[in-house]
Amino acid sequence: METAVHGRGIRKDNPALQKVLRIIIWILLIALAAFTLIPFAWMISSSLKLDREVFAFPMRWLPETYHWENYSLIWEKVPLLTYFKNTAFIAITVTLLQTLTSSFAAYAFAKLNFRGRDVLFLCYIGTIAVPWQAYMLPQFIMMRSMGLYDTLWAMVVLQAFSAFGVFLMRQFYRSIPTELCEAARLDGLSEYGIWARIMLPLSKAAIATLVIFTFVNTWNDYMGPMIYLTRDVNKTIQVGLRRFIQQYSSDYHLIMAASLCSLLPVSIVFLCLQRYFIEGIATSGLKG
Amino acid sequence: MKKMLSVLLAAMLLLTAIPALAEDQVLTVVTWDATTTPYLIAQKEAFEASHPGVTIEYVDVESGNEYGVKVGTMLSGGDTSDVIMLKENDQVVNWQAQGFAAPLTDYIADYDMSGFVGIEKNYEIDSVQYGIPFRSDFWVLFYNKDLFDAAGIEYPSNDMTWDQYAELAKKMTDKEKDIYGTHYHTWLSTVANWAVCGGEYTLADGTYDNLLYFYKLYQDLEDSGACMSYADLKASGLKYAAAFENGNVAMLPMGYWLVSTLIADIKAGNASLNWGITAVPHADGVAAGSSFGNMTGAMINARSEQKDLAWEYISWLGGPEGAKATASVGARPAWVSEEVAAAMAAVDGFPADDNSKAALLPVSVAMEWPVGEKVPDIKTVVNEEHSLIMAREVTPEEGIEEMNERVAELLQ
Amino acid sequence: MSQAEVRKARYRMGKLERKNTLIAYSFLAPNFIGFAVFTLIPVICAVALSLFEWGGGDISRLKFVGLENYATIFTVKKVAEKGIGYFFGRADLGIALKNTAFYTVVTVPLTIVCALALAMLLNKIKGAVFFRTVFFFPYVSSMVAICVCWSFMLMRNGPVNQIIMALGIDFNKGWTADSTMAMWAIILVSVWRNMGYYMVLYLAALQGIPRELTEAATVDGANKWQQFRHVTLPQLKPTTFFVSVMMVISCFKIYDVVAIMTEGGPGRATKMLVTYIYDEAFVKNRYGQASAISMVLLVIVLGVTIIQFRSEKKFSND
Repeated sequence: METAVHGRGIRKDNPALQKVLRIIIWILLIALAAFTLIPFAWMISSSLKLDREVFAFPMRWLPETYHWENYSLIWEKVPLLTYFKNTAFIAITVTLLQTLTSSFAAYAFAKLNFRGRDVLFLCYIGTIAVPWQAYMLPQFIMMRSMGLYDTLWAMVVLQAFSAFGVFLMRQFYRSIPTELCEAARLDGLSEYGIWARIMLPLSKAAIATLVIFTFVNTWNDYMGPMIYLTRDVNKTIQVGLRRFIQQYSSDYHLIMAASLCSLLPVSIVFLCLQRYFIEGIATSGLKG
Repeated sequence: MKKMLSVLLAAMLLLTAIPALAEDQVLTVVTWDATTTPYLIAQKEAFEASHPGVTIEYVDVESGNEYGVKVGTMLSGGDTSDVIMLKENDQVVNWQAQGFAAPLTDYIADYDMSGFVGIEKNYEIDSVQYGIPFRSDFWVLFYNKDLFDAAGIEYPSNDMTWDQYAELAKKMTDKEKDIYGTHYHTWLSTVANWAVCGGEYTLADGTYDNLLYFYKLYQDLEDSGACMSYADLKASGLKYAAAFENGNVAMLPMGYWLVSTLIADIKAGNASLNWGITAVPHADGVAAGSSFGNMTGAMINARSEQKDLAWEYISWLGGPEGAKATASVGARPAWVSEEVAAAMAAVDGFPADDNSKAALLPVSVAMEWPVGEKVPDIKTVVNEEHSLIMAREVTPEEGIEEMNERVAELLQ
Repeated sequence: MSQAEVRKARYRMGKLERKNTLIAYSFLAPNFIGFAVFTLIPVICAVALSLFEWGGGDISRLKFVGLENYATIFTVKKVAEKGIGYFFGRADLGIALKNTAFYTVVTVPLTIVCALALAMLLNKIKGAVFFRTVFFFPYVSSMVAICVCWSFMLMRNGPVNQIIMALGIDFNKGWTADSTMAMWAIILVSVWRNMGYYMVLYLAALQGIPRELTEAATVDGANKWQQFRHVTLPQLKPTTFFVSVMMVISCFKIYDVVAIMTEGGPGRATKMLVTYIYDEAFVKNRYGQASAISMVLLVIVLGVTIIQFRSEKKFSND
């Protein structure tokens, strides 16, 4: 470690100082967490208010009376359950396809040499850079001619092959030493074998990340479903939320209640997967 | 000759279409908030009752700015829905230019449009009619009778100048009781559109000096605490209906659509107040009872495969029969007549006083915005400068100077 | 080596190369086919569209206009007349570019620092699960609800201003209604929303750093900061590359927050590139011009990405 030699600092083993430092960090974290949670507190309180109380001056942190019925109202006013099911179907299918195909493609970009690699990769990034609003219309015309308009599959194919996943996985694969692959090649493993036996097990954290991101993005997408899905049986949760915003009136208390409900499934996915960030991966033998 | 022939042909088609009505037919109508808008429900019921065998199927698109985006995209993709409702006047211009709107020339030859008192011209492009209006909302002044009674001040009248109105608003303001004399929603129309009343001037003319008086009037009211501040309203997103229903706002200039909201909310027990409407105040030299408004209409999709049935529907919708269905739930139809006004006044929950009834028949209704090729661009500029004036980032004079300059550049 | 042998070897090499390329393509295919059909082709259409005048509708209505759309958005005539100051001072594109660039330059470093700091803090402490979830929450929740919340928080006499006033600073303006503060409101909400997202990325990357490296540094007597500076940071470089590219792109494409919170106002204070594109495409139905603006965005973002790409390569060649 050439760089570490420069480090002439004395290790600070002073336990009192360590303790003070730790306490400062904790205070900082708690303050930051509070800052993050304040809007949610307001959201929860608003979801229990009457419509006109939500924006009353001056603002009140607690509702006058608690309107728990708001949480049952949202299921009656719009077919929220259908929306949940549709969204879940799209999110799960997209996540599966996305994770599988992009981790596959990313291996080629990260560890294989082939002609046109860099150009192709820039193509991928280039499409991320073009705002969807610019190519939405050509895309829509094409999708309609394929008969995908107003079907859930429209949303699946639109989001399952995004460049984002490929880019993300490529970056993670690049941090895995190439020597590992070469050693495996010498041992007679095919490229597919390397991908399945070495890359996949080593990139658990990355895959968890991709799953979370894809799931969350698909779950919260609004513009796509708004344009592509029309019949009520096909709508998703984010489009459903906007149904509480009408031309001349909006029910913000119900929007808050429904938003909080839609937060649940995504939070569960996150909680389930985040252990992969703690356990880490066996790193012995990785050093070249 | 050719024209006569086509009229004949259309008439024949119409004749053949009538027996066809007896069979089960489904007419798809693209609209917004279909499940919750009372007049859409009433219209569907009335049309289906008088046209057995025809079912109206609404394609429910999100309201808000996305309506135009989504419907425009659908149409570009080759959508074949029969009738498209027009939320903004610009939409007919856009969609006609793209070839989505079926010309109505042949149909309107013997269709009576007198009841529209001229507003149907907004759907006319190069002397061809492309749409039929069915709703027309003009602006009125809502007021809270309870507050006026408590203060012992006379209700606002149908003939009031803007200066008198401002004076009244200040008189009604009671800071201790947290009562505001009036309320301005954050739109351009609530503050500046009054300049178009009377019909001599439109916001697309390119000069905006006429707006100065109204900005000064507003700022004077805001400074004296007679209305809530624009900045607060913008940030909080407080809705005008909620503001009025809270019961601490004495007057509210707003579109007629609020009537049905108020009636529904009071019926449902979400609000309790006594209210009335009068004509909006007028400027010196403009006749009392002049207002402005906007309209909602419907056009026939050029790709529709049952254009005659679609015409049957939109002509019914705009005409006296459809107007009655629209008026029956408190919305204001585009078709104006004593009969329709009576139907509007007869709605359960509409204020019973004569003043409110009189306000139902305005002397003239100017368009909030005219239609035209450059209008969308002008709208953007005027709205941008409006928000600067309202947030007090610039003085009204500076803002209007900018409007004049930037719009002049657009019109070059 | 004889000529024939060389040729034979070259042939063998060619065959191997071809085989490798085939393998690579087989890895790419499942993703690439979907990507090409549903994204790449429409994007290429959009690129071409920037040379046409089109109001939507039938494809037969396309009218080739060459570079006219670009001339219009860059207000070439006016600039020739009044100088470049006109473009940045008054033209929609100039103002949108300025705003977007400012927003990006502030938001990207701020978010990266916050995300990295959070990830380092939450990598190995007790209670990390709770905190991670908390910081990821903003990213997960629906945009409308969040923006409505924040508009309310940032009101003239809202809680944020109350805290500022309590600190003894005289500040009594609604953020979203003020020309300067509106931009900061957008930045604040963006950082608040995205730091948890990028924190997750860094957390995942931290798991991939071989423990031996940090241990070796400790043995060598490096303190925590030096460890971070000389071991952790270089190891995180591929992630930082990804994060910065994605952030630059997403910052340049900011739309939702602006649309809900300020609508580009007051005036044009928060008018961004995509707000402008949206307006041109869907409000004014000028798809050609909207595409031309998108191309400006594409060129800028690709330029930045290629620079970052080069520096990444340089690193891996070390």
